[in-house]
Amino acid sequence: MSFDIMNKYPSLIQKQAVAEIVKCNDFTGRFGLTLSYEDAVELVEKRALALKRYGRIEFGGGVIEKLIREFYDSPYISKHNYVETLNELIEIFYFYKNDTLDLISDEELIKFMKDSFNGRCQGSLELLAGRELEKMARNLRYGYAPDYADNEADKEWEAENEDG
Amino acid sequence: MANIEKRHSIDSKSLSGEFYFNSLLREAYNCGLLTESDLESIQLQCISLLASKSERYNRGESSSLRVETAESIMESILYSIGLYLKSLPDPDQAAAELKTAKIPELYEKGRRLVNTKLQVAKLIYHMVQKNKIDTPNHSYNSTLSENGIGIFFKSYNLDYGAHDIPASIDYQLCNPVNDLAGVEFIEKYLKNLYLENQFCLSFAAESIHHLLYGYDKAYADLLINIFEQVLTAALGCYLADRDIRELSITEEDIRGLYGKLLKYDNHTFRLIIHKAIKDILAELNITNSSLQSYIESSLPKIISKIENALKLNTLSKVFIIPVDPDLEPKIQFESGVKMDDEEYRDLIAELLRCRYSADKLELIKEKVKSFADLEDILFDAELKEEEFASLFNTLGDVEIAAMIKRHPFASEIQAVDLAEAEQAVRSYLENYIKQLPGNRQERIFRIAKHLTII
Repeated sequence: MSFDIMNKYPSLIQKQAVAEIVKCNDFTGRFGLTLSYEDAVELVEKRALALKRYGRIEFGGGVIEKLIREFYDSPYISKHNYVETLNELIEIFYFYKNDTLDLISDEELIKFMKDSFNGRCQGSLELLAGRELEKMARNLRYGYAPDYADNEADKEWEAENEDG
Repeated sequence: MANIEKRHSIDSKSLSGEFYFNSLLREAYNCGLLTESDLESIQLQCISLLASKSERYNRGESSSLRVETAESIMESILYSIGLYLKSLPDPDQAAAELKTAKIPELYEKGRRLVNTKLQVAKLIYHMVQKNKIDTPNHSYNSTLSENGIGIFFKSYNLDYGAHDIPASIDYQLCNPVNDLAGVEFIEKYLKNLYLENQFCLSFAAESIHHLLYGYDKAYADLLINIFEQVLTAALGCYLADRDIRELSITEEDIRGLYGKLLKYDNHTFRLIIHKAIKDILAELNITNSSLQSYIESSLPKIISKIENALKLNTLSKVFIIPVDPDLEPKIQFESGVKMDDEEYRDLIAELLRCRYSADKLELIKEKVKSFADLEDILFDAELKEEEFASLFNTLGDVEIAAMIKRHPFASEIQAVDLAEAEQAVRSYLENYIKQLPGNRQERIFRIAKHLTII
């Protein structure tokens, strides 16, 4: 008898996750953002794939819901790119959970993603994954604070924003 | 009648000591003690226990974790449960317990047992530190130190790594611990080491030192088992009618042993060895039954070594002739007083200016009066290989032996770390020695062996 935990992912949890995601429509609806049952299934499958790809395992659900809760009021998300963006965000989230050596909690990581996405990246997922999160992960690995800025341009940008 | 055992469905010999839980499930299923639905329920319970342990591991901050971490936590859970099940009287009862009890309960019982074992191991560790042998053997000392097994008691994680052995253990036991993991391994290892120490303490540390020095001069750096050498030597002394406590045997004794032991067939030989061990234990006044059985279990290894040595005519490699390092012949070589720095600088400048090798040699002969200066010149005067050879030609055997001692030939790999000048000196010296007649080479090496430079 083997204890291959990767293959023992209970389908019950998956069903529960789909229901939770669909339920999010209750509060995202007023922003014109809704997910169909098929969309929700796709997101859950995407999560399972991302977990497998990055060699991680998750017992409860919840991350997709947390992502929706943080991102649904973003000015850069509309009904045209909602599902696509969520798919990307799931992939980015798990990649950086590994890349930050699990030094940051789920909530903090999602909060950082949201602040960067709505702030410096101005809705660009490429900049979010390739610049902001990469810098943050490097900072954490070297023992700095996640938002530690080590070059002048970063500091200027921050100063401007504070003034504005 | 005392040997009658209850018949069990599960053969305890087919169970693994290291992966007890998994092997018990397999065997119980094969014997029909557990059904497929039992297995499924056990699996699901284990996974939900893993889920709650993982949550605690992440302190609720992260909902996912790396697969390797999850697998390690799972192994830790299964190890703890296995430890509890192992503590039950027989595997059948363990299987029955698995069928009826809940996995989290079994885990809690197992974890308590792991903790108890950890405390026991700690106690034995202190006992072993107290009955430690006084020896320069590095692997023995470092394994027993705070940086060896000591690390285990600081880094062992009962919750998430109960199956791990986070310790640095280099010392090889005579009866190695196989098929155990985690705290069980450490406990068994320390118990065995304690018994080995107890036996060795029947002999003077000096006798053990001389014995091991006879085994190999550099035994301090070797990965050898001290107990095995001591036990074999005691056996040798007994067979040669020598005082066991001395651990001392001579070449003549070994020659005599060939004649004595080759007479016996295998069976008689074994009987004689077992009788010998009994007498040795009585002589050393060893009454501890665990030590007695430990020694018994070490015998097959030693017996087969002696049997092989008798066949191959290498008994002197098994029964070691002790050597007292203090009694070895020694030649002391004084390298003399160095010349004044100013004078030395002038000499080097002059040597570098010299055009002819003959002049250089004359100059060195005239000015250099001590071995230390000569050594410096070899490094600083940028001599050619022919000049080296002619310079060495003017030296006696003792000086060349001292040179070899100071600049031993290094393999190409070792030479990488050396300075260029040092590499050159060593290779010139090696080439020079190689072209000398064989008997002179031998003489020089013999001198070098006993030479100490002061």
